[in-house]
Amino acid sequence: MEVGDNMETITEDEAELYDRQIRLWGLDAQRRLRAASILLIGLKGLGAEIAKNIILSGVKAVTLMDPNNIDEEDKMSQFFVSNAPIGQNRAVASAAPAQLLNPMVKVTADASDPSNKADDFFAQFDVICATGCKNSLQCRLDNLCQEKKIKFFSGDIFGFYGFMFSDLGRHEYLHEEIKKRKKDDDDKEDEGVTVTREVSNFSRLEDELKFDWTADTPGMKKKIRQTPSAFFITRVYEEFLELHGRRPSVATMEVDSKELQNLRILILNKLGVPAKCIPEDFYKYGFGELSPVCAIVGGVLGQEIIKAVSQKDAPLNNFFLFNGINDEGMVDKISL
Amino acid sequence: MALTAALGSEQMDALNKCKVLMVGAGGIGCELLKNLVLTGFTDIELIDLDTIDVSNLNRQFLFRKEHVGKSKAEVAKESALKFNPDAKIKAHHDSIFSSEFGLDFFKGFTIILNALDNRAARNHVNRMCLAADIPLVESGTAGYLGQVNPIKKGVTECYECQPKPPAQKSFPGCTIRNTPSEPIHCVVWAKHLFNQLFGEEDPDEDVSPDTEDPELTADAGKAALDAEAKKDAIGGIERKSTRAWAVETGYNAEKIFNKLFRDDIKYLLSMETLWKERRPPQCLDFHDLPGKGNQSLSVRSTDVWSVQECADHFSRCVSKLKQDLAGRGDNGMLVWDKDDHHAMDFVTSVANIRAYIFGISLKSGFEIKSMAGNIIPAIATTNAIIAGVIVMETLKILAGKLDKCKQVYLNRVPNDRKRLLVPCALDPPKPKCYVCSSKPECSVRLNTSKVTVKTLQDKILKGHLNMIAPDVEIDDGKGTILISSEEGETEDNEEKFLSDFNVGNSTRLKCDDFLQNYTLVVIVVQEEKLEGDAEFEVVGDMSECHPAEDEAATSTNGVSSSAKQTTDEDDDLVVLDDLEIDDTKQAGVENSESRKRPAEDLEPPVMAKRRAAEGGDSEDVIEIS
Repeated sequence: MEVGDNMETITEDEAELYDRQIRLWGLDAQRRLRAASILLIGLKGLGAEIAKNIILSGVKAVTLMDPNNIDEEDKMSQFFVSNAPIGQNRAVASAAPAQLLNPMVKVTADASDPSNKADDFFAQFDVICATGCKNSLQCRLDNLCQEKKIKFFSGDIFGFYGFMFSDLGRHEYLHEEIKKRKKDDDDKEDEGVTVTREVSNFSRLEDELKFDWTADTPGMKKKIRQTPSAFFITRVYEEFLELHGRRPSVATMEVDSKELQNLRILILNKLGVPAKCIPEDFYKYGFGELSPVCAIVGGVLGQEIIKAVSQKDAPLNNFFLFNGINDEGMVDKISL
Repeated sequence: MALTAALGSEQMDALNKCKVLMVGAGGIGCELLKNLVLTGFTDIELIDLDTIDVSNLNRQFLFRKEHVGKSKAEVAKESALKFNPDAKIKAHHDSIFSSEFGLDFFKGFTIILNALDNRAARNHVNRMCLAADIPLVESGTAGYLGQVNPIKKGVTECYECQPKPPAQKSFPGCTIRNTPSEPIHCVVWAKHLFNQLFGEEDPDEDVSPDTEDPELTADAGKAALDAEAKKDAIGGIERKSTRAWAVETGYNAEKIFNKLFRDDIKYLLSMETLWKERRPPQCLDFHDLPGKGNQSLSVRSTDVWSVQECADHFSRCVSKLKQDLAGRGDNGMLVWDKDDHHAMDFVTSVANIRAYIFGISLKSGFEIKSMAGNIIPAIATTNAIIAGVIVMETLKILAGKLDKCKQVYLNRVPNDRKRLLVPCALDPPKPKCYVCSSKPECSVRLNTSKVTVKTLQDKILKGHLNMIAPDVEIDDGKGTILISSEEGETEDNEEKFLSDFNVGNSTRLKCDDFLQNYTLVVIVVQEEKLEGDAEFEVVGDMSECHPAEDEAATSTNGVSSSAKQTTDEDDDLVVLDDLEIDDTKQAGVENSESRKRPAEDLEPPVMAKRRAAEGGDSEDVIEIS
């Protein structure tokens, strides 16, 4: 993301194509976007949404990485391959339709397993976004990213639920505020834009998940009550993924439902939070990836990648949690 | 099926039976169509009149460069079919106002989803849905902000329950013609000039100095006029139309330039009262301009042109537009279009020349396009999120859980209660809504001896009250027909004044729109003179009568300083003004101050609203700090 004086100005063609967004975030932000290389791991429904959003925005390059093959569930949310034959590699099959969205972005596919990649591989990217990955892999990549000053994101969708996590390390950005000013000569108000340079500090995913909820204080009770339900709910699914190496599946719905109910108790005990934090019937709404939920979380996540790269506007720090059962879309930081 | 398992079989049954109409296939529409097809909707019709433009491609992902110029509805359908070839999608490349889409058409759907970009179409679809009693999900985005609003007749507010501020900010004529002080004033003047020279002439868009400026005493204006009349300057201040004069000169760029920017400015300078406390304008001569001698002519839209460059672009554009006009034959005219390079460059150069004259900062073509084209910034992510929310609300409506539906707002930053997406309870219909109440009525203040039948029809009923083809009958016991939607029946009435038909204070006009299946009683409130010389003011219910709110329009976006005076007619308009008004309502005061709140301050009203609406939910209300 080197943005120096030698960076080329935006061409007239680009100005025309990106007109409506440049009017929102400005030319400098667009220039920074054009210099960014992004690794996107996981090309299920959420991954497809993120890929679409960042490719449209005009980043430099996007590498789509997924070791898995297209399955039945992709039909309900992965629009790049929803009509492709089952069994092809997801990343490879997605690359061509993804490329069509914007010929100015370099789109490549990689069918390898991210957990088998050496640390050095990741150093070539400005942003790494891991979707559909086990918690352990998310934490490893996050730590690696902080070491190499790479912006890290992760996220996943389970039916009606979804989350996004971001760790931008120490992130500097420009904050614009439109302020009304009284003009001296008459009563008219004038609006001026003030730009300030701000810093936001992020924590590691590892530390967020280690947070101790057990203190028996009014403050902690309040915190638990204010923490979005989707945080606790998605913990259960992450646990499932970690233990079984796969997501709950429609094909094994009955068994998986039982296991999810067991894991609910396990998570509640592990965190030491009250039972009401995870509704008992939560598991009924967590199969597959619903397209509109992917669109919502993928929209937020895509925008956060754009913000991180363009260094424009305050980033969400650090979870975005969506619960489609009650339309809740909340931002929270677990550790204080 | 994975989808059935994820959604549950009941929801899936409802979905399978559902026939959905999508109105609009643009920014929100592309995302929405994708979500619908993937979520298992298989019976979809979509309507869009628009064709694809390059500037759509950064977000309307169903379209690609090779589709530019083609029908949005058709291409969206083809692209979406690739997601699921079994879906049944019917595309209409047509206007939603077309009589083809009457009540029977609307009644054929289970639900209507709006993905529109302008208020007129939103109003119309709202009325059609009310008439057909079909649920509607309304939506809008602007920049980072967005909202989704489920609407059901008799249960929730309709789209028109809350009055909206004027779509476009207007400026006093004398500011535009005599004393511009902001770049936007020059842009408005430049667009008026375009119409005067090449488009449809509108007496309200005069570009010459205004001798009736209230700041001038009658004497001063007259003295100036007399002084000027003695001069025999070419195109001086003859009472001749700008167009006729331009045609006579053969659209000579130099002559036009010197008339507008030298002679007219001299004349303005003679109105000395105007410049007592203002910086006086500065005359320009075509052959002696700042920036002269720079060899290369900048064409980059992000550069600010020098005055000389502006004059060069002006000359180039005038000659090109003259040719375009000639190509339209006798009585042909051009319609200003921000995407026509010559029309746009004309406005950029003229606005900047005028800005220079009045000591106002010059702007790049890019910035002027925002102002002149009323462009609302738009991005893929906001549209994706809002389209996702639309489907979430749609699923609830189809499952018969309207009570679980929310109005959902997308904020730019999370509010005090951590919410980026803010769900608010739906309000019941407003009892006196002039659209959805059982006997719609509204009052219009006007002077019956100054307002013609044509003004009533075009500006009030169609322009302001969004009727398509009204029939108007005076409720005078005789059933006098004032306006008939049948061609040729009441044309003779058009130029007559309302008073000629004995329309006076408290006269009730029964206005009926057949297509919208909508009858509105307009109650005339006789006023000799209205604030700001307005021709009329629609006040809905007289008890809510309040002065005109010019400034409200500026607060509708809060998105980008460049889109300030706009709201309508471009991409994906958001109607955040609802919020401001909610705030007023919640506070229980009719305080005009609070209605001017910029959209940036979204949270407080939403919070207030939610607290009031869900007061019992202590979990959600306590800690606001």
